[in-house]
Amino acid sequence: MTTAVEIRDLHFQYTDDHRALQGVSLTIAEGENVGLIGPNGAGKSTLLLHLNGILPEGFKGRPSIFIYGIPVVKSNGPRIRRDVGLLFQDPDDQIFCPTVYEDVAFGPLQFGVPEKDVKDLVRRELMEVGLPDFEKRSPHHLSSGEKQRVCLAGILACRPRILALDEPTRGLDPRGKRQLKTWLRSVPSTKIIATHDLELVAEMCERTVVMDEGRIVADGPTLKILSDEDLMLAHGLEKPHILKHSHPHGG
Amino acid sequence: MRHDFLDRYSRIESPIHRLPAALKMGIALGAVLIVVLPPITALYPFLVTAGVLLVVIAVSRIPVGFMVRRILIFEPFIVVVAGLALLQPGGALKFGTIVVKSTLSLLTIVVLSNTTPFTELLNVFRRLHAPPVFLTMMALMCRYVFVLVDELQRMKRARLSRTFDHKKKKARSWRSLSMMIGQLFLRSTERAERIFAAMSARGWKS
Amino acid sequence: MHIPDGFLDTKTIIATSLFSLVGIGRALKVLKTQMSPRKVPLMGLAAAFIFVAQMINFPVIAGTSGHLLGAVLVAVLLGPSEGILVMSVVLIVQCFLFADGGVLALGANIFNMGIIAPMGGYALYRLVTAGIKADYGKYAAVAFAAWASTVLASVCCVGELAWSGTARWSIGFPAMTGIHMLIGIGEALITTFVLASIYKARPDLLPFKDAAGEKREARPLTGVLIYGSLMLMGLVLFVLPFASRWPDGLEKVAATLGFDAKALAQPMVPSPLPEYRVPGIGSLPLATALAGVIGAILIFVVSLVLARILTRKSNRERHAP
Repeated sequence: MTTAVEIRDLHFQYTDDHRALQGVSLTIAEGENVGLIGPNGAGKSTLLLHLNGILPEGFKGRPSIFIYGIPVVKSNGPRIRRDVGLLFQDPDDQIFCPTVYEDVAFGPLQFGVPEKDVKDLVRRELMEVGLPDFEKRSPHHLSSGEKQRVCLAGILACRPRILALDEPTRGLDPRGKRQLKTWLRSVPSTKIIATHDLELVAEMCERTVVMDEGRIVADGPTLKILSDEDLMLAHGLEKPHILKHSHPHGG
Repeated sequence: MRHDFLDRYSRIESPIHRLPAALKMGIALGAVLIVVLPPITALYPFLVTAGVLLVVIAVSRIPVGFMVRRILIFEPFIVVVAGLALLQPGGALKFGTIVVKSTLSLLTIVVLSNTTPFTELLNVFRRLHAPPVFLTMMALMCRYVFVLVDELQRMKRARLSRTFDHKKKKARSWRSLSMMIGQLFLRSTERAERIFAAMSARGWKS
Repeated sequence: MHIPDGFLDTKTIIATSLFSLVGIGRALKVLKTQMSPRKVPLMGLAAAFIFVAQMINFPVIAGTSGHLLGAVLVAVLLGPSEGILVMSVVLIVQCFLFADGGVLALGANIFNMGIIAPMGGYALYRLVTAGIKADYGKYAAVAFAAWASTVLASVCCVGELAWSGTARWSIGFPAMTGIHMLIGIGEALITTFVLASIYKARPDLLPFKDAAGEKREARPLTGVLIYGSLMLMGLVLFVLPFASRWPDGLEKVAATLGFDAKALAQPMVPSPLPEYRVPGIGSLPLATALAGVIGAILIFVVSLVLARILTRKSNRERHAP
């Protein structure tokens, strides 16, 4: 099995003395769906930002992260960013162009897709996420579910092999969540989903990693992790309702 | 605040709206030039421009009332400053000239901005090789003006919910308005950081 | 202060456009050498911020309201070259989207509000802070710079109108600049309050002396000097030709306006000048200019007082249990 992501003993500290990551090591195989859970401040978002090289700034020292074997260092920046598609928490930060078309086209254009091909590419991606003919729309007038999908279209347009999602269901209404889940299931990429939404993790991810205070404190099959009430409570989490009434091992 | 207060009618359907942005921009600039440069005594440029504008407005389906309101915002300023010209020998002619010229130019640009989405104007600027920094800044500005307006709205409502003293003292309201502006700046800088991360994530080469 | 089309003549349009292009070009070059890509989204959002901030109504009297220009605010927060670019972008968008300011007049509007205002204000800010090292000196500098930026921009504006033959300097200068000396007070207050509130929340964002002391390097003064000269050139070109032409035939109009202009020019202190004509000097514009100088000194003093109050208050808050 190909290793998609390898993280070796990653440390990271923000400038204000806050140690966000303290020795994180993680290996993710191609095609896996991994849920990343933990209390606020655990370092989940920080970890995701390391996957495509946005952090640390300056890339000093030996690389601790490898994407398909390629070290995440500045010189590999463009390549890494093609392979890793990152969905940010707030769609308003991610959709930064004045029209949907320009935003979805942004990635491909930056990566060198010729302009004449971009138009069709954008149309295809928007159809994929269920937003046909949205090209000329202004992002501000979209619902949060639609914004989410524009973000996804924008990321997918770059054809990443790994999808890293930061709180994808935040702010979505139940319909939006349903649509997102359906869509996520249809995408074959390796997925890492950082979220508080444990129902989502239970439904989408076969493997779950628990983080707390910048460290990985548990890593294993989702059902096992989420059913471990003591573990969950110890790290500011709770066993999700979806599991409260099911006993996978009977009894 | 209305989210489309900037160019409300720029996306409606009409033969004028369908014309290419570069053409509209070129014609608008040409119109401004022929209105501003010749002396008022050469009547034709003004009459022709006014005529063309009226036809364009009619065909473009932009409501006349809207047009009038947009012009009225600036007319007082025009009249007052042009009024300075009155205090000169021969000032009346000058006054009239200025008012006609600036009103026609104003109308031209209002028509342009309401028949062409600003993003298309940005495209024209791009093709004219405007500095990329400017283009990115203008696109970001158009994108985030509404977001900031919403944030300001939320701050105002939050403040109102905690205000029980309705004898609004001017000094205090200046202070609290300034604090909101300060807050808005802070949020804007923080958002700019996140946007930078999002742009980098999608391969932005500055 | 956005000049619409039709007010400026060809030579003024060309001259101001050239000056603006030079100013913007220089700002772009300066930023390119700093090579910081994250500045671009920051400036873009700053432009959106200034645009929104300019729309806010600050109630004055009886339904009228004041507005922030923001040139000095942006220049102090982000830097002078950044300030130029941000203000220019705001003006361009206002021109094409709102028809606020003419397209041919864009060069003049950018020159006045996008180059003179931020740069002139910033230069004064640096000069004052170089002179007064104490903490309150920064607030005083900001307040004074903000006031001055408004006045300087209006002086250039009137200069351009006069050079185009649209308005006579002898009337325009007292009227417009007089009014803007008042408006400038609002700008000074708002800018200072805004900066104070930002400083309270995030002292690291401001080029004031911070705890570490070393972190903020002062921007090189050479850039400031170059812009200062550009500014002076512009002022010389637009203003001086008129400064020497004292009006003779306008006594009557001046007399009617004289009291008003005088009142505008001395906003805060009952006028020590018994009549509109300063004894020994003749004319209204000169009186205005003198009033401007006196007003500037007054504003400066008031800025110092205001700044002291603000810093004493924040110090008290900081040491509160």
